[in-house]
Amino acid sequence: MSNKVAIIASNGGLFDAYKVFNIATAAAASDKEVEIFFTFEGLNLIHKQAMQALSMPEGKEFMAEGFAKANVPSIPELVEMAQELGVKFIACQMTMDIMGLTKEDFIDGIDVGGAVTFLEYAKDASPTLTF
Amino acid sequence: MVKADVQLDAKGLSCPMPIVKTKKAMSNLVDGQILEIQSTDKGSKADLPAWSESVGHQYIGVTEEDGVLFHYIRKCSNDTVVEKTYEPTISIEQIEERAKNGGLILDVREEAEYAFGHINGAKSIPMGDLDEHLDELDKDQEIYVVCRTGKRSDLAAQKLAKAGFTKVYNVLPGMTNWQGDLTKTI
Repeated sequence: MSNKVAIIASNGGLFDAYKVFNIATAAAASDKEVEIFFTFEGLNLIHKQAMQALSMPEGKEFMAEGFAKANVPSIPELVEMAQELGVKFIACQMTMDIMGLTKEDFIDGIDVGGAVTFLEYAKDASPTLTF
Repeated sequence: MVKADVQLDAKGLSCPMPIVKTKKAMSNLVDGQILEIQSTDKGSKADLPAWSESVGHQYIGVTEEDGVLFHYIRKCSNDTVVEKTYEPTISIEQIEERAKNGGLILDVREEAEYAFGHINGAKSIPMGDLDEHLDELDKDQEIYVVCRTGKRSDLAAQKLAKAGFTKVYNVLPGMTNWQGDLTKTI
């Protein structure tokens, strides 16, 4: 059985962030090796400023109350926890070039790589998830 | 109350926090110790057994009180195969019948494991407490020592033999293979 979980984060909203980081932290807490490849809008999730205020999908703003009630950790908290548990973050070089971003725009502790970096890691991962 | 070595308060936290906290707390336990996780997350009922299974710990069970779930997990870091050295042994299928004829089933698992299911009539003395409770046992009675897999009972049977008990049997393979009814004390 593979002990690796590979995740592609390609969307940049608040819900996307929860899907990505909940699965990632749960997997890491279950002694899995976890790597997340952030590409296109997914880069928001580890962008120093953007990650502080990710948007809800239009028309779903009322759910903010539900989030508070359920005592869900904030995205920065989840990110910190994921890193503490050893989850590796890879930012997509190509998307960064398009958007004019550098490594300094992102939280500490990330790596930058291309599609092949991810594919090499994911070739024997199970499951590979895309959000 | 079920006895645990360490308590973890995860009340009010939602997924994946109970799992993350459990993982962290578990790393401070030694092998064989029991962690109690208090949670209000209903998803933990499915998640904690699944997590235990995936990581290799023993999920003992859950109780509920006033909307709070109390989970019990026994740490098993590396269930290495230890050679069982004590003779004689007896198979678990035989002991109920033998106990009816005057023998004693001695369950040396932790109190929490016993509480969530044991053979009717079995006496509970956890392996670690055996030395202080030897006076509760009768040297003239046959004693069938049982645990989960036969490992702790092997050690307990050796202890009893050293203490002068001669009619001691290690039950194999252990409660994992018990097909009969289980009595609960929770």
